[in-house]
Amino acid sequence: MITLKIDGIEVQVPEETTVLKAAEKVGVWIPTMCHNDLFEPYAVCRLCSVEVVRGKRSRVVTACNYPVSEGIEVLTDSENIRWIRKFLMELILSRWPNVKVVKEMAEKLNVGKPRYESLEKDEAEDACILCGQCVNVCREVVQANVIGFSYRGIKREVVLPLGEQSDKCIVCGACALVCPTGHIKMVIEDYKGKKPEFTLGPKTSIYVPTMQGIPRVPVIDAESCIHFKTGGCEVCAKVCEPHAVNYDMKDEIVEIDVGQILLSTGYDIFDASKMTQFGYGRLNDVYSSLEFEMMLSSMGPTSGKVLTKDGKEPRSIGIVHCVGSRDTNHHPYCSRVCCMYALKFAHLVCDRTDAEIYQFYIDMRAFGKGYEEFYVRILDEGVKVIRGKVAEVSEVTSSGEYKNQLIIRCEDTLAGKILEVPVDMVILCNAIEPRKDIDAVRRLFSISKSPDGFFLERHPKLDPTSTMSDGIYIAGCAQGPKDIPDTVAQASSAAARILSYISKGEVEIDPVRAWIDDKYCAGCRICNNLCPYTAIDFIEEKKISQINDVLCKGCGTCVAACPASAITGKGFSDAQIVAELEGLLAI
Amino acid sequence: MAKLTIEELDKLREKAVDKLRLRESGENRGRVIVHLGTCGIAAGGRQVLTALLDEVEKQGIKDITVTTAGCAGLCSREPMATIELFGQTPVKYADLTAEKIKKILAEHVVKGKLIKEYALAVGSERVG
Amino acid sequence: MPFRLNIMLCTGTGCVSNGAFPLLEAFEKEIKKHELHGEVAVIPTGCNGFCAVGPLVVVQPDEIFYQRLRIEDVPFLVQEHFLKGRPVKKFMYTPPETKEPIPVMSDIPFFGKQMLIALRNRGLIDPENIDEYIARDGYKGFTKAITTMTPKQVIDEVKASGLRGRGGGGFPTGLKWEVAFNTQSDEKFIIINCDEGDPGAFMDRSIVESDPHSVIEGVLIGAYALGVKQVYIYVRMEYPLALKRFYRALEHATEYGLLGKNILGKGMDLEIEVHRGAGAFICGEETALIRSIQGFVGEAQAKYIYPAEKGLNGKPTIINNVETWANIPQIILRGAKWFASIGTRGKNGDGGSTGTKVFSLVGKVHNTGLVEVPMGITLREIIYDIGGGIKNNKKFKSVQTGGPSGGFLPESLLDLPVDFDELLKVGSMMGSGGMVVTDEDNCMVDMARYFLDFVQSESCGKCIPCREGTKRMLDILERITFGQGTEEDLVKLEELSKLIVESSLCALGGTAPNPVLTTMKYFREEYEAHVKNKKCPAHTCKPLITYTIDGKICVEKGHGCGVCRKNCPQSAIAGELKKEHRIDPAKCDKCGICYDVCKFDAIYVD
Repeated sequence: MITLKIDGIEVQVPEETTVLKAAEKVGVWIPTMCHNDLFEPYAVCRLCSVEVVRGKRSRVVTACNYPVSEGIEVLTDSENIRWIRKFLMELILSRWPNVKVVKEMAEKLNVGKPRYESLEKDEAEDACILCGQCVNVCREVVQANVIGFSYRGIKREVVLPLGEQSDKCIVCGACALVCPTGHIKMVIEDYKGKKPEFTLGPKTSIYVPTMQGIPRVPVIDAESCIHFKTGGCEVCAKVCEPHAVNYDMKDEIVEIDVGQILLSTGYDIFDASKMTQFGYGRLNDVYSSLEFEMMLSSMGPTSGKVLTKDGKEPRSIGIVHCVGSRDTNHHPYCSRVCCMYALKFAHLVCDRTDAEIYQFYIDMRAFGKGYEEFYVRILDEGVKVIRGKVAEVSEVTSSGEYKNQLIIRCEDTLAGKILEVPVDMVILCNAIEPRKDIDAVRRLFSISKSPDGFFLERHPKLDPTSTMSDGIYIAGCAQGPKDIPDTVAQASSAAARILSYISKGEVEIDPVRAWIDDKYCAGCRICNNLCPYTAIDFIEEKKISQINDVLCKGCGTCVAACPASAITGKGFSDAQIVAELEGLLAI
Repeated sequence: MAKLTIEELDKLREKAVDKLRLRESGENRGRVIVHLGTCGIAAGGRQVLTALLDEVEKQGIKDITVTTAGCAGLCSREPMATIELFGQTPVKYADLTAEKIKKILAEHVVKGKLIKEYALAVGSERVG
Repeated sequence: MPFRLNIMLCTGTGCVSNGAFPLLEAFEKEIKKHELHGEVAVIPTGCNGFCAVGPLVVVQPDEIFYQRLRIEDVPFLVQEHFLKGRPVKKFMYTPPETKEPIPVMSDIPFFGKQMLIALRNRGLIDPENIDEYIARDGYKGFTKAITTMTPKQVIDEVKASGLRGRGGGGFPTGLKWEVAFNTQSDEKFIIINCDEGDPGAFMDRSIVESDPHSVIEGVLIGAYALGVKQVYIYVRMEYPLALKRFYRALEHATEYGLLGKNILGKGMDLEIEVHRGAGAFICGEETALIRSIQGFVGEAQAKYIYPAEKGLNGKPTIINNVETWANIPQIILRGAKWFASIGTRGKNGDGGSTGTKVFSLVGKVHNTGLVEVPMGITLREIIYDIGGGIKNNKKFKSVQTGGPSGGFLPESLLDLPVDFDELLKVGSMMGSGGMVVTDEDNCMVDMARYFLDFVQSESCGKCIPCREGTKRMLDILERITFGQGTEEDLVKLEELSKLIVESSLCALGGTAPNPVLTTMKYFREEYEAHVKNKKCPAHTCKPLITYTIDGKICVEKGHGCGVCRKNCPQSAIAGELKKEHRIDPAKCDKCGICYDVCKFDAIYVD
């Protein structure tokens, strides 16, 4: 530890601390305009000049990069220092008289109208004041080295290499973030052809995937994280006090022994770009329901504001129901949740904007508890509901009243009229559909799927959570479209089932099963692949197959297939059947 | 060229030093001036000079300078040479040949013995 | 067989631009013609220093100095001197005062007062021939160090010599080395600074051009002392000849095993990498140079920790300029005592300036060129004895030492000894050794403006005082030279100077106001004349002068000859033959042609 005095106050700080940090510790204010803790001191504004006195010698140094040493006395408010600061500030102000941070600092330092007329005066309010923060953050933190200084002396300016946009720029926005005057702005140039996640993904590279999820820990999005692009940054690791950030973590496979499994693998949303008439992925401001949900989230890219891609509040919004649902070309079933979330959207949009809202529906299905009441309330809020399936969404390119708007064409089946509704934004209520990997999962767990593609339950009315495989349960949209209350109910029932077995500690099984006689099994493995319940395993050491008694349902497939007749149904051996027959005949 | 060791570097230096010696007007014992005016050249002064330089190198004499000058004024007795050993009166030799200059080098320059039979005069003209 | 005559032909950049290479060819041709090629050798050498009279040759062993040779002079010279042995007077140097040619180089005052350490081989060896360097005790210092001294002893020797950095700051070299020596690190670097940016300065260039091996040897000694394996030389792109000769020297040294792996069989490794600078003045500053080598924009870094502790790639790095390195072999070979006996000694034995310093003497002196003098010599000796005094019988006004950010010293300080600390005391500095002499025709305000213009346009622009402050100062000086200055401007100049000196990030800013401060201190009356009377006493600042024709002289002596009228490009002069002529001040653009052409001195400037 090093002891020094700052303006007469004694302070102890570790070695290699700068005077600026030491002053912060004792609450002595030193003005800075180029300093940022993110990178090494740049020391160009010189406003942090202080006088360091050691014995009889005194010198002017910059506090931001001067390392403390034992016994020095720092004067931050001597007459000389005040003179230097004011004079420097005067020079800065004379060049950038209208920049907010400059004006504020000048006020703090009591600098009035500068006596020096600047020939290079830049009157812009967001002028670049050459503090170098953007250059330093790009070089030291991001390590992309995209921004640099060019020209010498008074002509110095911040530039991109050769004045062109560099493909080394990873569009991280760090420069815009640190720019004190707002001179650097993030401009999003082109949406088309880019993944919707580009604008509607998480706002930062570190985020909590689901706020209700357990465990609720943040993750790093390796695709957008600066560190994974350039190897630099690591700011999160620096600020995390418990040192919990780990960049080396990899996906890993964990094996856990379990007795029962509940499959709640959820659903995918229907890819609306297949229905080209709606223009999804092609037209600006046509969103899927999930994207719009993201937009409404206060954690989302717009912090919950409803905005079109050019950043304006929409004047009107069309919500299109049954995109991919109740459609013989795609999914014949009803996705069950869309009507209600569409009404929720309408309600939230009403709450946050003054936009006109149109709902285009086939049938309004408000069947749950309190749902119908909500529908009535929405109607009271002035949402326009139009019964009719939307035929097309198109863009108005020509000039005129609806320039750059979207037009929804549809037949109002109640009025029997063709409508063309101009809107600024279209929200598609995508169908719920089975996960793309549903077949692989199904095979893994030896369960079936119903014609609609979702997992098949043991009995639709009497046993909707079990499957034909003992110990495998299903819940939620993996079994079929359902809303949150239904999912919770089904999952609770499955959990109760599972718990009942766990508390019992053992399972009851039917006595009907197959049995392999070790003596005759030749280890040909024909039975292994035939078993629909994957109950037969090959035992490498003994070179024979063996049946798992719990999994076997006694269907008899293997018994029929075994070329050595080594498999028999337990309790149904030839000798037993003969004995039974003999018994019968004996009466 | 193979890489040098310290010994080889020293050897190389010794060799190179000879080549450069005549570039420095350093602390020499004296100099031999061969008179090479038109008359001197015509009378065979060049051969005398070549023989002298050869011999200087052969004997490894390092403390004298060989140089040339114009006509000494006595054209009939060319080729001529002047031996100037510092601190001594210069001596002029006349009617020289390659043999004679070698002998002069060995006797006069190295050993300091004047060869009377070749000598023309001791001392030089006064410069007014 | 050694050569009877060695024609040492200067091929420094100055003489090359005056036609040294065609001259070399002419000599070789002519010598062949007379069949002298076995007896007479023509050796291209590095800069001889007396650049003012190039192209030049020195004929050894008699040290006959010939100057301003033209190709057509060659046949006569070869026939007369090389063949017949008659030195040719008309090509010899003739000092303006005596009119008597001086045949022997060391008798010429320009050379007589000089003392060569860094430039000891100039004009004596072919810089592209390593054997010739070796013959002149080359690499002897290095072998002495590596065989008989420990690294610590080498550093102590350099410390004891009192050698101070020749690049500008004058930091004691031994001390710098000691800091790097005592800093623990797995890797250390040496950088040779050959980014000589001062206008009119060419000391380092000349050393690399005339004796590149002396720099390599110096670095070898340094690398041995500090355990360095990698050396960088930062050479300006504007020095093609120096680059070429340095590359050649590297090639030869590597071939001889003086660079590379296992040097001289002693287990030492060293690589030298050439880094070419793009010509920014600021890159001569240590930290900016390091940035440039690392591939970033060359701008000074804020430092309270020196590169000797944390430099290139964060490792201890010794940066010394070419001249400093060239001194090292001699210090090791001849001992610190010998070196320290030259020059000045500060009080209590420390400080002071030992050894010699190379200066590029330019400006209004007779003998411009490169001179190496012992420290402690007075400015008067350099300007009058070596430089031969002021040209055209003009009056001496000032001498600027230390490059563009050095101060201007007046006549009263001419007896000041050349010494790092003495120069600092009077507001100037040693710098890298620029020396610009001005005469009565130079306006000091304009000189200050000129040099400030240079530093402000070469400022890297990183920190505010240097970037904004020097520009404001330049604006004010320009106003003054245009006759629009006010007395308040003089106060502002002083204020701005103080701010820039106090708060700049690097030495460029820290010294930039020196020309202004010294001229304001020593030549204040000139500033006041500009500001108060709107006059330029040296008649340099055009907006402040007027040309007038003295009607009486014009008519009585010149009979209104009309030469001025005919020559005036602006047609600003009216008059008829035998009548008085007049200049129309509205049309006159002050080119001064009339003043030059008037044979009767009827035109005067005010």
